[in-house]
Amino acid sequence: METSKETLTIQTPERVGFQYALAGIGTRSMAFLLDTAFRGLFLLSIFVLTSLVSPWLPALPIAKMASLSRNFIIAIAILGYGVIDLGYFLLFEALWSGQTPGKRIQKLRVIRIDGQPVGWLESAVRNILRAVDLIGGFYPLGLIVIFLSGRSQRIGDYAAGTVVIIERRRRVPADRTRLRTTTGLWTPDIELNLSGLEPEQYQVLRTFLQRRQQMDPTHRNQLATELASRLVRRWGLPRDRQIHHESLIEEVVGAYERTRKAI
Amino acid sequence: MTETKGTGSKERFLIRLAGLKPGTSPDEMAAAVKKLMPRLSQEKIRQALDRLPLTLTRSATKAQAVKVKRFLESKGAVLKISYAAKAVRPPPQPEAPKPEKEPSAPPPPEATEPEAPQKQPGGADRRAKPRVHPGIQPHPMGLGEILDRSFRLLRQYFWIFFLIILIPQGLYFLVNKCALVISTGRFTPGTPAGMAVGFSIYLFSSFIIFIVFQFWAQGALIYAVSETYLGHRTSIRIAYGALRGRLGRLLGTLILMWILIGLLPGLSGVLPALILPKLGQSSPFIGLFVAVALVVSIIIAINLLLNWLMVDKVVVLEDMAWITSLRRSKELMKARTEKGFWKKTKMKASLLLLAGLVIGIAIHLAIQIPGVIFGAIIRGNLIILTIQEILNIAATSLATVYTAIAMILFYYDIRVRKEGFDLKMMAQNL
Repeated sequence: METSKETLTIQTPERVGFQYALAGIGTRSMAFLLDTAFRGLFLLSIFVLTSLVSPWLPALPIAKMASLSRNFIIAIAILGYGVIDLGYFLLFEALWSGQTPGKRIQKLRVIRIDGQPVGWLESAVRNILRAVDLIGGFYPLGLIVIFLSGRSQRIGDYAAGTVVIIERRRRVPADRTRLRTTTGLWTPDIELNLSGLEPEQYQVLRTFLQRRQQMDPTHRNQLATELASRLVRRWGLPRDRQIHHESLIEEVVGAYERTRKAI
Repeated sequence: MTETKGTGSKERFLIRLAGLKPGTSPDEMAAAVKKLMPRLSQEKIRQALDRLPLTLTRSATKAQAVKVKRFLESKGAVLKISYAAKAVRPPPQPEAPKPEKEPSAPPPPEATEPEAPQKQPGGADRRAKPRVHPGIQPHPMGLGEILDRSFRLLRQYFWIFFLIILIPQGLYFLVNKCALVISTGRFTPGTPAGMAVGFSIYLFSSFIIFIVFQFWAQGALIYAVSETYLGHRTSIRIAYGALRGRLGRLLGTLILMWILIGLLPGLSGVLPALILPKLGQSSPFIGLFVAVALVVSIIIAINLLLNWLMVDKVVVLEDMAWITSLRRSKELMKARTEKGFWKKTKMKASLLLLAGLVIGIAIHLAIQIPGVIFGAIIRGNLIILTIQEILNIAATSLATVYTAIAMILFYYDIRVRKEGFDLKMMAQNL
């Protein structure tokens, strides 16, 4: 097992490496803030529910209340808050395979250092020790430990042998629509030159097509012109023809993908 | 073309180690690369392997390129070989190949050290034609990723970034302390009545100098973070030096910005001031009117601040100044690249600042708690008080650095999304 600055690689006995992107302080803070909001809402809903239901509950005799120590009631309240506070993380992480609602939104997951999912024990240890990381509020100790840790672990993670990773889910690109419907290739030169197009260069063209809708029209046009003219120059395509730049890029990407599929 | 061994050919090849095949041991690869680049230490090579691609040479002959390819690919490397733009120097003479079963290590080609700082294109050129970066590829990021990346950059270049901001703050602290001791003979504030005016004038002028240095440091930090984010090397001296020619414009633009932020909401206060006397002192609307004017002022100020949040980056990285840079910053902050209320640029900037504030509080707590504990145990001790002040400066510098890095990465994120900044850089390899 080895860690680089951003990834954790787990080698299987067959020497196949699984790479996980380690979550940093930013994504973890965002997830924690979301979880804090959810816990706040949960506590608020309990409070509101209790207030609404209390008129219908039988009243405790005053004599019995008097016999209860005030400190005892405060202790029960603190314990109740602690159970909810700790239980939230403990239950969700153990039952949702290392995720809480905040972590799920941020696409984070807690896993064991060997890549296995966390169980009840790991979840309990890392969340009980959260109190140490959180000491003084706002995770000051946790921050220092994460800063010094090669795997961005806080004290709870060290004790439980866990790391927090970012889940990478590959999606089909949203925008694969074509600007113009063309019947076949714009020019056969494209197919002749495709063998010279390297995967990295194809990736640039494809990324442009995927992201062009987000881009500012001026910059989109400018970039399409630059990419297309580089292709024209590189492949020696006739410059006198009227070329619609984005269409040319679409043709090249389409032809490249068809060729790859054929192979 | 007739290819002769050695330097016979004019064609030169650029060889890059683009990746490792699955299951390849980085240690073995580092050892193999070491044979090619004996001048680099094993540790440096390991670090370079963590940040692939690694340029092995820019001036290999065809024969050398073939040998290097055969050798490294047998060790599990994924290589990218292309024509070099131009030959820099004549390549070294390769040794005669030895007949071995396993491909032997070819002679070391001209080793390429990590890219050294280079002269930058200025102004519009820089904006229009970003430099080709050696490996790090910017891409659209979410808020969490921006914060993560900021943290990693801070960790990686901690001393450069931290010292850039700490230098003016530390100097201000030292100079003030010295002046205090010299003028009053005391280490803690408290000036004799006769010296109060002179000392106040001194404090004011030293504060003005501090502000100038602080803006300089802010610009230097922007430069340094930008360089490292784009995969170039930098240092404290280079970062401060790069700002020398732009300091006046940076100062002027930032002062102009703060004056406008202060003035424009102030104008919304002028209106009630004009109307109120006409309403009369007993009007029931006075309170409401003042409250509305106050709220409007705050909204205007926040809106202006968000509009001009990128102005320092624009001045430093795009060589613009004055109103042009304010307009450019507004243009960037108005970019609408994603759907959804929470993904508006200004909303993202606000969330980023909020997250920066929370992490800043954590940094303050982490650094200042020891000083507070000692201060509580040993009261009124001069050394403890000084340590507390130093820790406070360190905490403020660190929190400032973190949020500043996040905002610089956010600036690049807007440009990546809106202008395809990353694609423009990558297009140069097409």
